[in-house]
Amino acid sequence: MSLTTTELALAAARARRLVLRMIEAGGSGHVGGALSAMDIVTALYLNELDIDPKDPSAPGRDRFVLSAGHKAMAQYAVLAHTGFMPPEVLDTYGSFRSPVPGHPDMHKLPGIEANTGALGHGLAIACGMALGARLDQRSFRVFVVMGDGELPEGSNWEGAAIAAHHRLDSVVVFVDANGLQISGRTRDIMDMAPLGQKFRAFGWEVDEIDGNDMSQIVEVLARLPLSAGKPSAIIAHTVKARGIASIEGTPGSHYWKPTPAELDAAIREIEAQVAELQVEATR
Amino acid sequence: MTEDMYDSRKTFGAALTVEAELDERIVALSADSGRSSGLEDFRARFPTRYLEFGIMEQGVTGVASGLATTGKIPVFCAIAPFVTCRNFEQFRNDLGYMHQNVKIVGRNGGFTYSDLGSTHHSLEDYALMRMIPGVTVLAPQDAGEIRGAVHAMLQLTGPVYMRIGSGPLPQLFPDDDFVIGQGRHVREGSDVTVISTGYTTVAVIEAVDTLISEGLSIDLLCLGTVEPLDQELILGSARRTAHVITVEEHYPRGGLGGAVAELLGGSMPVTVDRVAVPHEYVPSGPYAGLLKSYGLDAVGLEAKVRELVTQHRQVGAPNQDR
Repeated sequence: MSLTTTELALAAARARRLVLRMIEAGGSGHVGGALSAMDIVTALYLNELDIDPKDPSAPGRDRFVLSAGHKAMAQYAVLAHTGFMPPEVLDTYGSFRSPVPGHPDMHKLPGIEANTGALGHGLAIACGMALGARLDQRSFRVFVVMGDGELPEGSNWEGAAIAAHHRLDSVVVFVDANGLQISGRTRDIMDMAPLGQKFRAFGWEVDEIDGNDMSQIVEVLARLPLSAGKPSAIIAHTVKARGIASIEGTPGSHYWKPTPAELDAAIREIEAQVAELQVEATR
Repeated sequence: MTEDMYDSRKTFGAALTVEAELDERIVALSADSGRSSGLEDFRARFPTRYLEFGIMEQGVTGVASGLATTGKIPVFCAIAPFVTCRNFEQFRNDLGYMHQNVKIVGRNGGFTYSDLGSTHHSLEDYALMRMIPGVTVLAPQDAGEIRGAVHAMLQLTGPVYMRIGSGPLPQLFPDDDFVIGQGRHVREGSDVTVISTGYTTVAVIEAVDTLISEGLSIDLLCLGTVEPLDQELILGSARRTAHVITVEEHYPRGGLGGAVAELLGGSMPVTVDRVAVPHEYVPSGPYAGLLKSYGLDAVGLEAKVRELVTQHRQVGAPNQDR
């Protein structure tokens, strides 16, 4: 059952609140990237991925690979929201042997497909999954969320070549292009623009959207694959730390360690967004 | 032992093709490396299970991990440094940390690609691979063990690194008795323990037999597995001889010699002499010439073992970390 755009936006707001719940528990984390990617991750899990929390390793399931593993809190929040774990697990964030560590571990949490964190690994792994599907004549798709800051890693472009050469149109990449990384603007640190043209040159079909606009995400998902026989890359322009005005669009949000007052203010802000969307969703 | 010689790479490729006939989960991955890995026949017989990627060992290692998550058993063979050094992080994270059932075969190991120079030599692969938790490291010693190791690694669930050389090898051991983690007690003696691994074992046996004929009593252990080490076999022998010499075509640090020294240093401090390739960039040249210059051919090994035993008897030889 597909959710409406408003329902998805509400779910994303609730998931943002869960990110802050993890920060309440652990004190700090990669908040900026988790919040910029949150709308994409939410839409994928709630409306697109063929997955079942009761059977998380079903052979025919769609795969979600978080190449930018530091955005893990986005995935954890949505996994909790969709029933892969009780939300209480999020309260272990930052503690010894937590199933929700700083970067995802497939052996600790159902629903995690790869141990990412070292950047530039996800796409090649995703291509392997897609080739496995083809060998078994399965039709599952493999969705990858990357960060624009990880694109200078050359291994990404090995993956880009593989997906195109092997015509893996079951592979869909979302680049969470928030334009920032830990030291500043991606275009000042290593300018990889124009991203769309780079993927196109490798043989991908490309589209660009506002990755924090749920209606644009929903619209592009309805058109997958963007071109039969080609992998799809969606350059999703986003705002780092989307949802917390005081740190939105700042490199400092990449790894955020708020004071108690800052965290309280952020929670109030996100809860107000949830309340507003709840009203809208029930209209 | 038969007098016939077998090409290492073709032996590997043929063995994998036999296994692929029996297990359709086996998939061969090539980084423009399949033909030189003896996989022509595999490709002809299983075209859909032979995947080509061109020269990108990081990408292929990632793909192997992804394929393994779908239940395939990917086997990726290429020149040893490029499947251990170039892709080390993919090996460590995508295969080791993810516990994936992937088999990586480094061919032309050691300095068997002698004349191509240090970029193509692999004298640290045992060390690198045995540093990754959960990775099994195999070094078959003859043609029979290449066949046996291929079968054994495919029966084991988990990441495996196997090093083979390139040249012709005799058959010393049967095809069907290779057990991962179990060494062979090839000669029994009490003066000194000699431990070898990989294709170097062929020359080691020749050297040891000459020394035995001269009256030395040598306990010879031949290991087709570097990790996990056959601790019981090594400790039992060291207890009897109190002098251990390791021989390998690898740097003296971190490989077989390193592993044996770690084991004995912890539980049975005896003299461990590591006969290996000096810790330097090896010059290029004909393989036989390199072996000779480093004393790793049968003649050189015979002289080296004799010298080390004499030294040990006189003073208790100090370790040599060259």
